[in-house]
Amino acid sequence: MSRHEGIWIGLVFFLIAGWGFVPETVAGSRVQIVGSTTVLPVASRSAQKFMELSKIRILVNAGGSGLGIHSVVQGRADIGMASRGISLDEKKRFEKSRLKIHPIGLDAVACVVSTEIYQAGVRHLTPRQIAAIYMGKIQNWKEVGGPDRQIVVIDKERHRGTRHVFMQYIFGNASQRTPGTLLVTGSNNEEQAKIAQSDSAIGMLSFAWINEDMKAVSLRDKGKEFLPTWETVRQGRYPIVRKLNFITAGEPEGEVKAFIDFVKGPQGQKIVEESGYIPIAGKISQQ
Amino acid sequence: MKVTIENDFRRGLSGTRNLDPVGWVFAAMNLIFFICAVGLGVFLVVGSVPVVRSEGLGFWLGENWWVGETFGALPMICGSLIVTGLAVILVLPVALSGALFTSEYLVPSFRRRVKGVMELLAGVPGIIYGLLGVSFLTVGIKDVLNLLDGNTLFTAGCLLAIMILPTVLTLTEDALHSVPSEFREAAEGLGLTKLQTAWRVVLPQSLPGIAGAVLLGVGRAMGETIAVMLVIGSLDRVPGFNFFVSGQTIPSKLGREAAEALGSGVHWSALMGLGLTLFLMVAILTFCGNIFIRRSSR
Repeated sequence: MSRHEGIWIGLVFFLIAGWGFVPETVAGSRVQIVGSTTVLPVASRSAQKFMELSKIRILVNAGGSGLGIHSVVQGRADIGMASRGISLDEKKRFEKSRLKIHPIGLDAVACVVSTEIYQAGVRHLTPRQIAAIYMGKIQNWKEVGGPDRQIVVIDKERHRGTRHVFMQYIFGNASQRTPGTLLVTGSNNEEQAKIAQSDSAIGMLSFAWINEDMKAVSLRDKGKEFLPTWETVRQGRYPIVRKLNFITAGEPEGEVKAFIDFVKGPQGQKIVEESGYIPIAGKISQQ
Repeated sequence: MKVTIENDFRRGLSGTRNLDPVGWVFAAMNLIFFICAVGLGVFLVVGSVPVVRSEGLGFWLGENWWVGETFGALPMICGSLIVTGLAVILVLPVALSGALFTSEYLVPSFRRRVKGVMELLAGVPGIIYGLLGVSFLTVGIKDVLNLLDGNTLFTAGCLLAIMILPTVLTLTEDALHSVPSEFREAAEGLGLTKLQTAWRVVLPQSLPGIAGAVLLGVGRAMGETIAVMLVIGSLDRVPGFNFFVSGQTIPSKLGREAAEALGSGVHWSALMGLGLTLFLMVAILTFCGNIFIRRSSR
């Protein structure tokens, strides 16, 4: 019996000792940032700089604009990153949270195609052609001046900010259904990789994420041609432009405010530029 | 029927009559497991009530998943079945012959080494396979089969087959190896060749064990999230009989939308409903597998 008792006491002891390992809440202030993968590079680089200068700890996580807004509403994050504004539906649902938008930079979304397609002659598309491709009415590149090859239509998850602004421009409806879609991707990273792996793809990508495997086509609309260059964006002529936003529930205070001010300040805006976006303070005539 | 269950129950608990303290601790631990299992079930069922109430049977039969409007899980259910089925069909011949070879032909010292490698591979997490899949398999399958794109149901099936191969292989081998050597000696005495012994004597004897091995593999394949998510294309549609197009499985859908839907009404409930569906699918499969095992071991 005594041996059994020993085991029993041992077990109880083990349980009590285990209790001691429950992590204590981390001391010091922390800022949680969640959301858009488009804004992510700016936020994480700024966070790094900011943490060198102060004792505040900042955690940055991806997940998409929709998640960023949700997380702020539910108090799971202090700052949400969004590469789009707050939609009407969200405004209605989250009225109580008094969401506040803090623009930190500008970005443009391009319609990109595989380099092979671009070199084969598809240099520009009209919004109507892009719409037909996403609706599945045009399925071969030769119908828009390319090679005789089927189109790999790449879409993004419906809550992604890039998709919102792109579809808003193409269809006039941010949550347009696109039956022509072949693949659905999530983050900018993922879409970039999937386009790079294909040689006949079309997709939507933030300017900062375009690499040598894909080319942005210019947009032809109402007789005008919009080149996908920063020059055009700076002049305010490129049509698919969006603000990169930080979103907070109510007015930011304390360390959250300090970080937002940092990003809006000269150091932060330099990081915005280094990340491939346009500083918000730049002279851009928004139409 | 009821009487036998009651008898079973009584017999099962008859050992608890004279429990000492340690026995009580063990019983308490068992209770924790029981609470977890029941809690999970209740959580899923309660969570999926709103979506079933708003969609009815259409939740399982509907083809459209439009957040905010309608939730139909059929594309995901079909995708899960197809991908898992493909994985099993692809893995069975390889695992069976590999296990037969390891168990019946290899010298013991070699066998132990091969087993070691298999068991090591069986523990590799899914994401590693996913990374391999997204960097090599998608491109490879696209080039070899000359497809429009490499992110397909077939790719996911192949990847899962590769992923569950070590598990199925090593467990199948265990089953084969546990057949008593008297059987082999008797067969040899009758003048059967090694192949005949392996195929006609050892294999039938170990069928229940092999079925168990495959079931475990299927369970892992059905629940795999991230590896599938990376290579399947994530398009919600009922694929029909063409496996060379993109699709969606239940776990990959959950993986894509869980963070977005967290705590938001019907959308979240729809994901809970998907989880419940997967849970039921695995449960039915295990149940059928157990019946098969019991039958063939008689």
